[in-house]
Amino acid sequence: MTSTLFLARSRRSRALVMLQSALRDWWETDAITIGYILKVVLACLLALWLSLRFELDQPRTAMLTVTIVMQPRSGMVFTKSIYRLLGTLVGIAVSFVLVSMFAQERVLFLLCMAIWIGLCTAGSMVFRNHQSYAFVLAGYTLCIVGLPATISPDQTFNIGVTRISEILIGLLSATLVSDLVFPQRMWDMMLATVRRRFSDFSDLLRSVSFASADAATSKPALLRFVGDIFSLESFRVSTMLENDHSRAQRLRLGLLNAEFMEVSTSYHALEQLLRRQRASGHPEVSTALLEIYQSIGEAISIDGRSARTEQEAQQITGKLKTFRDAFEQRLAAARARLPHGLTPAEHLDFDTGGELLQRFADELYAYAGTYASLASGLGRSRAGAAAEYPLHLESHFDPLAVALAGMRGALALAVMTSLWIFTDWRSGIEAITIGVVTSTLFATAPSPHRTIKQFIGGAVIGTVLAYFYNFQMLPQVQGFLMLALTLTPALAVVAWMTTRPAIAVLGGSTFIIFLSHIGFNSAYSANPITFMNDAIADIIAVLMSGVMYGLIDLSNSRWSRKRIARALRGLVVAACREPLPLRRARLETAARDLVQRTGSTQRIADDQDQEVADWLLSTLEIGHAVIALREQLNEIDHAGVSSKLTASLDTIALLYASPSTRNRRAAISAIETAMAVITDKGQYAAASSRHQLLTMLHFIRSALLDEESVLTSVAPLTPAGEA
Amino acid sequence: MPREVALFDALVPALLFAFLAAACVWLALDWLFVRYGIYRHIWYPALFRLAVFASLFAACGLWIY
Repeated sequence: MTSTLFLARSRRSRALVMLQSALRDWWETDAITIGYILKVVLACLLALWLSLRFELDQPRTAMLTVTIVMQPRSGMVFTKSIYRLLGTLVGIAVSFVLVSMFAQERVLFLLCMAIWIGLCTAGSMVFRNHQSYAFVLAGYTLCIVGLPATISPDQTFNIGVTRISEILIGLLSATLVSDLVFPQRMWDMMLATVRRRFSDFSDLLRSVSFASADAATSKPALLRFVGDIFSLESFRVSTMLENDHSRAQRLRLGLLNAEFMEVSTSYHALEQLLRRQRASGHPEVSTALLEIYQSIGEAISIDGRSARTEQEAQQITGKLKTFRDAFEQRLAAARARLPHGLTPAEHLDFDTGGELLQRFADELYAYAGTYASLASGLGRSRAGAAAEYPLHLESHFDPLAVALAGMRGALALAVMTSLWIFTDWRSGIEAITIGVVTSTLFATAPSPHRTIKQFIGGAVIGTVLAYFYNFQMLPQVQGFLMLALTLTPALAVVAWMTTRPAIAVLGGSTFIIFLSHIGFNSAYSANPITFMNDAIADIIAVLMSGVMYGLIDLSNSRWSRKRIARALRGLVVAACREPLPLRRARLETAARDLVQRTGSTQRIADDQDQEVADWLLSTLEIGHAVIALREQLNEIDHAGVSSKLTASLDTIALLYASPSTRNRRAAISAIETAMAVITDKGQYAAASSRHQLLTMLHFIRSALLDEESVLTSVAPLTPAGEA
Repeated sequence: MPREVALFDALVPALLFAFLAAACVWLALDWLFVRYGIYRHIWYPALFRLAVFASLFAACGLWIY
């Protein structure tokens, strides 16, 4: 009796637990989506009501603004609003200037406009995230305000003021609603990203057993981290206007990013080194190194799993500290256990691995420490260290891509305006505006061609929806309440579409087209003929920008991959040759930014993107080794040795500037000569730096000798007699 | 105070300047509040921030009208 009762109770409690977990899932995912949809609808209606109340001319612009700046996180909304305001202000100011200068000369006017739009699009490629959006906006606002003004110049000022008022109303509604109703703080999301990255990275460290793994295992993870680094940076920038403590933690997040880049590079170097040793070295050496590596893996596990929170990271930091303190003994013990009769080269193999392991452990310790300190609140001692680091990721870009994007924007304007002028097209201005918006807005998308295809779909949906609303629903609407009720379903459904990552662009474009055609300004004003004309103009314009992206597209060609690979190699050349050595943090950001901008990190499945990824990792590996070598070089006052080292740096630079089998062999032999000079005790007596120099050179040499490295694709080593 | 101000020959409501002034004061206050952690003692910081701004703006507006 009691046992059945107990069973029943336990069954019920199990059901309760399941219900609770289902509820928690719902709360963490779906509830946020529903809340977001609610916020979009609410903000739209608020903007609509305010514009109608203030008797402004175009409530739909205010609603459109709301849908554009609305994002799930409040901080993002603030930042995007600020940049939308700035972009619009600049665009309107430029429109005024252009209209006042060339109102009668349409060719000159359009020429200046094309130049301005080209410049703005180029600017949007140079900057990231919301700044880039502000540039695009400054460009296409000219179409919205300047073009109607050419037809009636005396209205310019009114058009500009109306637009800015509507946009302000939209921004105010969006920010108010997203700050007051279910605010979603950036901090939670950033913390989640940082946590996930730390535990992913520890998983990677613990799971990869080098004994059996092939080279490709960790590459997707390392590339995903590149994306993570940049999204964290964009979150960090967006916390500017938040009111919680995320603002105070910004410095620490920057530091965390920098440290993470270093530790992931070291990890890759270590992985490559162990792989090479397994292929060509003495098995005992790689086993000994693996054992030490595995003890790092143990140090970062808690109960056989990775740390999930900052408190656990705190424990791990402690364990790593003891590991580092005992590292020398551990290394010495491992060295003593090595079998006798190893060649000097094999001893060097072991020492190189040891050095790298130590560096890796140090960096991991620093990273875990910074991460753990996130939890411990404000004003810790490390915040001082954060101030010395670069506060934000500098941007690095491909000038050609920027120039082409600018050209594409200007060309889109030229095509549409000539169509407008030569055919005396009544909806020309509408077409030009949408054409310029679409052909500049997606320039920074990872693959603009795919984005624009989705946009076309959204344009069709939006047109159909607008038609239905304009001629079926709106004529029967009376009063604001009914208008709000009528609009709500459409707004909610489209807002839901924007929350699904797969069809977010579709939803966004539906919003843009729907809200720019919705048939009321301050009163109902839909006209079937104008509507159809404008709808057709929009579709033609979007198709035109689709063609533009198809014609001028850097992101999908084999040629652009080659350019990136060359730019990455250029970083190594710069690391070798520039009079002032590159800082390591600069190399890390520059290389990752170049790859990130091409969107290769999101398309890792393609073979060609794999190649870009290989170049990235190899650049970071060699580049870092070269920078370390140059730092060491500054401390050497032995003329013979430093000249040999400079010579090897020159040959490495030559190899990366123009990769060929001959240059690769020359670089290897230059390094071998330098190593011979350093090893010879008669010539070079400073024992302390000898060891370090030898391990560094050995590392570079073994990387250059690697048959499987990406260098082999452009500069194959002939197998005879090397290794 | 005049209700409209000529800005480069365009008549602009004086409330706009009140808005800007209120925004400046509010940003400074906000910075101070974050700096000294005052928001931690407040139940709904977002609402409080809005209320502070509304009070400032209303005060400026009353001063004009």
